[in-house]
Amino acid sequence: MINTTAQSTTQPEFDLKQTIGIGKLHGFWVLMTGFRGKYLVSTASMGIAAIMNTVTFLLLANFVDHYMLAGARDIHLAVYVAGFLGLAVVQAFSTFNSRRLAAKTAEGIAKRLREYLYDHIQRLSFTYHDKTQTGELIQRATSDIDTIRRFFADQAIEAGRIVMLFIVNFAAIYLLDWRLAWFSIIIVPIVMVISLFFFRRVEKAYEAYQEQEAKLSSTLQENLSGVRVVKAFARQEYEEDKFDVENKKKYARGRYLLLMHALFWPITDILCAAQMLGGFLFAGWMTINGEITVGAYVAYAGLVVWIIWPLRNLGRLIVQMSESLVSFGRVSEVVKEAREPVVEGSVDGERPVTGELIFEDVHFAYAGTDRSALHGVSFTVKPGQSVALIGGTGSGKSSLVNLLPRFYEYTSGRILLDGVELKEYPRHALRRQIGIVEQEPFLFSRTVRDNITYGVTRDVPDAEVEETARAAAIHDVILNKLPHGYDTLVGERGITLSGGQKQRVAIARTLLKDPRLLILDDSTSAVDFETEAEIRQALSRLMQGRTTFIIAHRIQSVMEADLILVLEHGRIVQRGTHETLVEQEGIYRRIYLAQTRLEAELEEELSNV
Amino acid sequence: MSEPIELEEEEFDATFSGQTVRRLVSLLRPYALWVVGFLTAVLMVSGLDSYFTYLSKRMVDEGISAGNWDVLVQIVEQYAALIIIQACAVFVFIYLAGLLGERIRYDLRQRLFNHLQALSLTYYNRMPVGWIISRVTSDTDRVAELVTWGLLDVTWSSFNIITALLFMSQISGQLTLIVMAIVPIIIGVAIYFQRRIIVQYREVRKVNSKITGAYNETITGVRVIKALDREQTNLREFGKLTGEMYRAGYRAAWYSALFLPTVQLISSLAIASIVTYAGVTASSDGLSVGGMYAFISYVLFMVWPVQEMARVFAEMQQAIASGERIFSLIDAVPDIVDKPTAHDVENLSGDIIFDHVDFQYEAGKPILSDFNLHVKHGETIALVGPTGGGKSTIVNLLCRFFEPTGGRIVLSGHDYTDLTQHAIQSRIGMVLQTPHLFSGTIRENIRYGRLDASDEAVEDAAKLAGAHVFVKELEKGYEEQVGEGGVLLSTGQKQLLSLARAVLAQPDIFIMDEATASVDTLTEGLIQQGMDTLMSECTSFVIAHRLSTIRNATRILVIEDGRIKEMGTHRELLKLGGHYHRLYTQQFRQEVVGQVDELATLLAEADASVEARPADGRSNGKVKADLAFAD
Repeated sequence: MINTTAQSTTQPEFDLKQTIGIGKLHGFWVLMTGFRGKYLVSTASMGIAAIMNTVTFLLLANFVDHYMLAGARDIHLAVYVAGFLGLAVVQAFSTFNSRRLAAKTAEGIAKRLREYLYDHIQRLSFTYHDKTQTGELIQRATSDIDTIRRFFADQAIEAGRIVMLFIVNFAAIYLLDWRLAWFSIIIVPIVMVISLFFFRRVEKAYEAYQEQEAKLSSTLQENLSGVRVVKAFARQEYEEDKFDVENKKKYARGRYLLLMHALFWPITDILCAAQMLGGFLFAGWMTINGEITVGAYVAYAGLVVWIIWPLRNLGRLIVQMSESLVSFGRVSEVVKEAREPVVEGSVDGERPVTGELIFEDVHFAYAGTDRSALHGVSFTVKPGQSVALIGGTGSGKSSLVNLLPRFYEYTSGRILLDGVELKEYPRHALRRQIGIVEQEPFLFSRTVRDNITYGVTRDVPDAEVEETARAAAIHDVILNKLPHGYDTLVGERGITLSGGQKQRVAIARTLLKDPRLLILDDSTSAVDFETEAEIRQALSRLMQGRTTFIIAHRIQSVMEADLILVLEHGRIVQRGTHETLVEQEGIYRRIYLAQTRLEAELEEELSNV
Repeated sequence: MSEPIELEEEEFDATFSGQTVRRLVSLLRPYALWVVGFLTAVLMVSGLDSYFTYLSKRMVDEGISAGNWDVLVQIVEQYAALIIIQACAVFVFIYLAGLLGERIRYDLRQRLFNHLQALSLTYYNRMPVGWIISRVTSDTDRVAELVTWGLLDVTWSSFNIITALLFMSQISGQLTLIVMAIVPIIIGVAIYFQRRIIVQYREVRKVNSKITGAYNETITGVRVIKALDREQTNLREFGKLTGEMYRAGYRAAWYSALFLPTVQLISSLAIASIVTYAGVTASSDGLSVGGMYAFISYVLFMVWPVQEMARVFAEMQQAIASGERIFSLIDAVPDIVDKPTAHDVENLSGDIIFDHVDFQYEAGKPILSDFNLHVKHGETIALVGPTGGGKSTIVNLLCRFFEPTGGRIVLSGHDYTDLTQHAIQSRIGMVLQTPHLFSGTIRENIRYGRLDASDEAVEDAAKLAGAHVFVKELEKGYEEQVGEGGVLLSTGQKQLLSLARAVLAQPDIFIMDEATASVDTLTEGLIQQGMDTLMSECTSFVIAHRLSTIRNATRILVIEDGRIKEMGTHRELLKLGGHYHRLYTQQFRQEVVGQVDELATLLAEADASVEARPADGRSNGKVKADLAFAD
């Protein structure tokens, strides 16, 4: 067994909780912890690239004025050529470096977010998991994180580039002539407003389009999975019409989306071109009047392009960036949920327990409900004894056993394990002492071997795995029925284990874990007589020497229990052994008699034929 | 069935038959005018883009350098007029090409969907649903993209490069030759990069789906993880995945980041040549200022068409592979086809005969062999026996989802292959083990059984099937939505609705595959009632799991290894003391076991209601009776 202190070492070093309770943009800043230097260099590189781009045009102006059109040439042609090449090299390197570092930052932040959220999710309490939908949580952990990643990788850096291009080129034109500079940006606010307005609408239209696509897919999916129903009722034409309706709707939404794009781009084309041509005219007029040189005109014609055209995309970036903030908010909602503390507790986690349990007037209610699930439950179990819980739906059987591993916390009363209150045990240490075999055990999509050894951290030799499997009466099934024996992947297409097989794998898993306390759900799925006998044997091997709680569905398993608790609406209404309870007037006796009568009826029917 | 299906869409063959390409092109044929329209528009746009640079050159040389204001204004006017024309062309090509893409998507999907309706069940057994869905969704997307935007981008790019070179040669032939030497290098580099980038992103997607899988498993298995104290190990394992993701993502970004600078660096060689040429010829009246400016603009701009072309070519492979998969689906032939002479019938309320029926999916692995059965009209046949024994096959053959590989099946005196599939299937009512509902209202789902049924008929059917009780307790009653696949309802409720659906269909033959999962006793009683109603009116086949159904059947067939092992009534078979005897005792014991919880719940309810109010009238026959006895 590993020691509990290992926890702090492998946990992600960065606590996302720091991003909670501050503004979202501030949250992004905190998110960048450890990457700020890189991102700063990335931004600076982008700036350098923009400056190099601009300087190239200024050098061109100089080349035109002082080489091509000049009589006296002070600078050698080779210097100019070397200058152009040098600028290109610096620009190329800066661009690459900026993108590279931005990617490094974005991927690093995304990695940290993924790991943090993964760990967070597995450490959130059941109270949280009970009320949260799986798909919803997965979406936050995957696509929302990806949206945040894109913010750093593409959007922020691209928006920065556009702004930088604007500033640098504006400054350069300002140097050529200040009137020309102001004249060149008349259109800017108009284009910005149009683009922002447009992309906001397009975003909505695109969402509607995607929504319809999803609807179309689910219509298809429903049709395919219900193919037998469709055929059995000969409803092919009806289905075709249904699909056609959704398909047409998607076509219509696509058309609307296209119309918007088909209008936006040419309209802004005309606006930007008007600005550009106006600038050309103005600059041309100044050149002809001798206010600026021909070289300056050429430089201007090259630079002004970089002010006007990229701006159209700024609207798109702003809309996308605001969506990243929404995604960040959705991730934060998960992050701010409190984790279940697993190592806190005054008891030494290494201390072995004997398995004596005392319930003293235990009350329990699920969070958010006022009806209590358990009501003043008191009883005592000696080490190694077995307790059978019997009762109908909602009687409190599951609630009672869920308190033992502290999946939920009892609201009042005391539960003592080896004389120490359960709340004093660190959850990890406590859970290490408890084994659970459920009715439909959850197996992981890994090999059968990995599933058996899932509960232990040490390396288990193959011989031990097989021995355990034998004890759980699953060894033969694994060898003979599964295509790759112990290395068969569970849940791979075509390979599904039956309920009874899963249960035995879970028994093996628990045997290997070797806990002091056991929680069993005794119902066996539909299996034949021999298999059932094998499962019973495996279970009794498992129960050997362990304090066991059985959620009982059959009288047989109850009969051998050291203590039977009959639950009704969260209260113990009867307790005792089978012998004493059968003698008492009450639920147990009635159930027992009903069952024996049915058995007798069967016997009678079988013997009478 | 045994051949593995390639689920990874990423793997595709690099060699394509010209056939596929020809068929892809043929998708455009009905819309030839649209294609001509958007291609003309895009040629205009592309040519004008090149011409504008040439106009700028003229502005510099003829207007500014020459100091001629009038010429400058004239050129700008021309420029402005052309911009307006170009804007119109842009509108036309975006709208036409985009709409055509949507249209082709629509056509392909409808065609695939309709074809899927015609395909036989064997096809569905062979192909996983997920595979089919990606054919209809993502593959059609890729194909539609290729034949519209792909075609458009390539046209724009190639024409843009060609016209740019033409205008360049107008300015300086020698310099154009130098630029032309560099263009192929840029194209080669661009294609190389685009290929690499696509491969990298594919890797990212692969890792991403693994990560999603890990999240999914952790969330659904969180109870086991907590109980087994696995958080540490899990996080460590997940760390490997995120590490993989980081590397894949970074590599993909690295290649993308390197692409543009590399291309720009190569084109800067062209720019250096231009400057050198301009410098050298400056004194000898060679390249004008405007000419040099135009050349630099052309070379700088050329990055974009080259990038677009490279992207399309890199994606083309995938899109053609998508096309191949789509065509393979369209070309799949249904196994069961109506004979040309097939006819309809009044009804099928006659005897059903299985006459020496053989059936096998694969040669040499018979599922049924020499199966003979004569069922009189109105009989109820219970099929029992182990899984894989052939019970479902018998039912599937009867529905003609499959046809016998030997022998024949006779319905009301007709060899059923002489009838249309519609004739048979429209007279069958079916309830599946896992009931399937379609999203929509409860009413719509019941009406699926008979589309022209009145609201009253729907409700009557629901009453007969025992569904009315729970439906009317719902807030919106029959107008309540059932959710996708019926998720908003319990299994028992779904069963009642699918029973109501079958009742409404007024079938001649009723088929039911009973659920193994136990529903609560109350619902079970209701289901039983509904089934009894249906069974009294038609010939029924039930794959039976419940004792009551078995006991009530007119004949019980024990099916094992594709043969009838035992046949007879409940009593007869019990007397035999064979397979049935064993099955029956086992089944019975399980039902008894299942009752402990039910009994306890009921007793608790009874106690509560004794305290609060007199017991309500809702009766639960069997269990109540058992309890009464126990008292």
